[in-house]
Amino acid sequence: MALTNEKLIELYRKMLLVRTMEAKHGQLLADGKIQLMSHFGTGQEAVSVGVTGPLKKEDILFGTHRGVGEYIGKGMSARDIWLEYMGKKAGPCKGKGTLHLADRRVNIPGLVSSLGADFSIAVGTALASKMRNIDQVTLYFVGEGTCNQGDAGPSMCMAALWKLPMVFAICTNQFCEMSYMCEHFPTEDVAPRAAGYGIPYEIVDGQDIEITYGAAERAAEHARKGKGPYVVEFKTFRMALHFSGDPGGYVKPEDVEKWGKRDPIDLCQRKIFDKKIMTPQEDQKLRDEVKTEVEGAVANAFASANPTADDLFEDVYGQKGVIY
Amino acid sequence: MSRTITFMQALNEAMAEEMRRDPSVFVMGEDVQIGAFGQTSGLIKEFAPERVLNTPIAENAITGVAMGAALNGMRPVLELMFCDFAMLAMDQICNHLGQWRFITGNQYSIPVTIRTAVGAGFRMAYGHSQSLESQFIQAPGLILVAPSTPHDAKGLLKSAIRSDDPVIFFEHKKLILGGVKGEVPDGEYTLPFGKAVVRKEGKDATVVATMFMVYEALGAAEELAKEGISIEVIDPRTLIPLDKDTIFKSVGKTGRLIVVEEGRIRGGLGAEIAALACGDYFSLLKAPVQRVGAPMVPIPGSPVLEDLYLPNKDSIARAVKRTL
Repeated sequence: MALTNEKLIELYRKMLLVRTMEAKHGQLLADGKIQLMSHFGTGQEAVSVGVTGPLKKEDILFGTHRGVGEYIGKGMSARDIWLEYMGKKAGPCKGKGTLHLADRRVNIPGLVSSLGADFSIAVGTALASKMRNIDQVTLYFVGEGTCNQGDAGPSMCMAALWKLPMVFAICTNQFCEMSYMCEHFPTEDVAPRAAGYGIPYEIVDGQDIEITYGAAERAAEHARKGKGPYVVEFKTFRMALHFSGDPGGYVKPEDVEKWGKRDPIDLCQRKIFDKKIMTPQEDQKLRDEVKTEVEGAVANAFASANPTADDLFEDVYGQKGVIY
Repeated sequence: MSRTITFMQALNEAMAEEMRRDPSVFVMGEDVQIGAFGQTSGLIKEFAPERVLNTPIAENAITGVAMGAALNGMRPVLELMFCDFAMLAMDQICNHLGQWRFITGNQYSIPVTIRTAVGAGFRMAYGHSQSLESQFIQAPGLILVAPSTPHDAKGLLKSAIRSDDPVIFFEHKKLILGGVKGEVPDGEYTLPFGKAVVRKEGKDATVVATMFMVYEALGAAEELAKEGISIEVIDPRTLIPLDKDTIFKSVGKTGRLIVVEEGRIRGGLGAEIAALACGDYFSLLKAPVQRVGAPMVPIPGSPVLEDLYLPNKDSIARAVKRTL
């Protein structure tokens, strides 16, 4: 289904928000204002925002550690993300999760630290949706590097075996932490592994938001209709290094140049101008608005209260009196 | 009114009763429809196959599935056939299951019960015989249950299934396979976590023992009684939470403490209780604390060597005498 103009602008705005938030994060780190380690998803915004675009509020998302894209895409606010990122008590996880974002209000159950542990956890939420007979799809969004974890196989196996309502979305950004993908994979594509479990898959361009959204929509519909899991692999390029302490030096400049010509936000902007959905002036206004939103979210987080010593011992158990 | 049932029946009844009571409870694991040892046997006659869910052989992944199902409204009872195999699932158990409530700021609770068999004596050598319950003591957020009687097994398993905290429920093979019998009330009952019982009263020394070692400690008590030595035997029933009050009330009376476990001695439950004794309760002690446990070697397959490896009533009696 073609995107409506409203939807396209909504996705465009989210992509701008994601990039602006991550740029701000990088700047705060560089200025020594915060301690929070970063893993940015610069250049991958059409994947993270597109893949979450067709999800309903009641659908479940397991996202990655790479930036805020899918979290903004699924409906978290910049304000809540920054409260959590800065470890503040008013954050959705009360500042205890920071990078491990979880927000029950929009069905984001959390982020594991050992990559790929959530492959099977996502199968579990989808199993529960089926057992409870509720209209709910689980999206498991994962980087290609994590697909080499041992649990990838049995998780796809169980999802197919039990015909669960879930989507495995693989963001192939060409890098597995600090190595090129080709050092980790004997093949160019990851998605064909799904065929071994009888799961249908497709491999699509990850730079064009209309394409990423469309593929995610097809996958989610497949899962929602009770046809079982679906795998989509998005081809994109990570413009950022792996994390804030990454020494770099391993990225080929010609790759940056090649992929930079198809920046997802630039592509979307061109589409919007070509279709005359917005004028350049309106675009600038939107960008200013997004910048103000991010600055406001960051300022609010700086001013917000820290947790206290009592909070350290809260929320470990539901039952009282276990800790000594 | 009460009736006599086996340890195995106690576990089976607890699961069946909880499945009848609450449609969100289901049993899952490798071959649970048949039941490798028999704890889950017969459930399939009463309940639908999806509530007695056979899984692939993939311990870490099926533990993740249980966790995901619990995140989304279900109460899974997962069987990990041997605690030795639970080591494959340590990432899910120690990194995620026990820490999710805290790290999400209490947005999510994880009502998972993991049942797993411990204990040697069946000539199965190193990988089907260990008692690894102490491996879980360091992980925050878990409840650890270690019953020794059918009464406690049933009451505590029902409490575990109803608990909003993740529970690791240890079942000793000599208790489930040895036909150990005991009385249980006719009607519905549950037991609280963190309440030890005094299995035998005595005045000269306090012996804290768990699971099958409770019976060895009671055997030692009989032997020692012939020499005029009276020991008090305490069964903590749950390792986390630990009923320090009952243990140290007894030590206050006897002045001597012997801690017994079938697991290896280094860094074990005994070490933890001994450390507590040497800290806050040091003034109660009339003699150094004694630990009884398995030596720091793998469990041998040879019957002769396995018997030498295991702690028993004789080694417990010798430890008691060292305190007198």
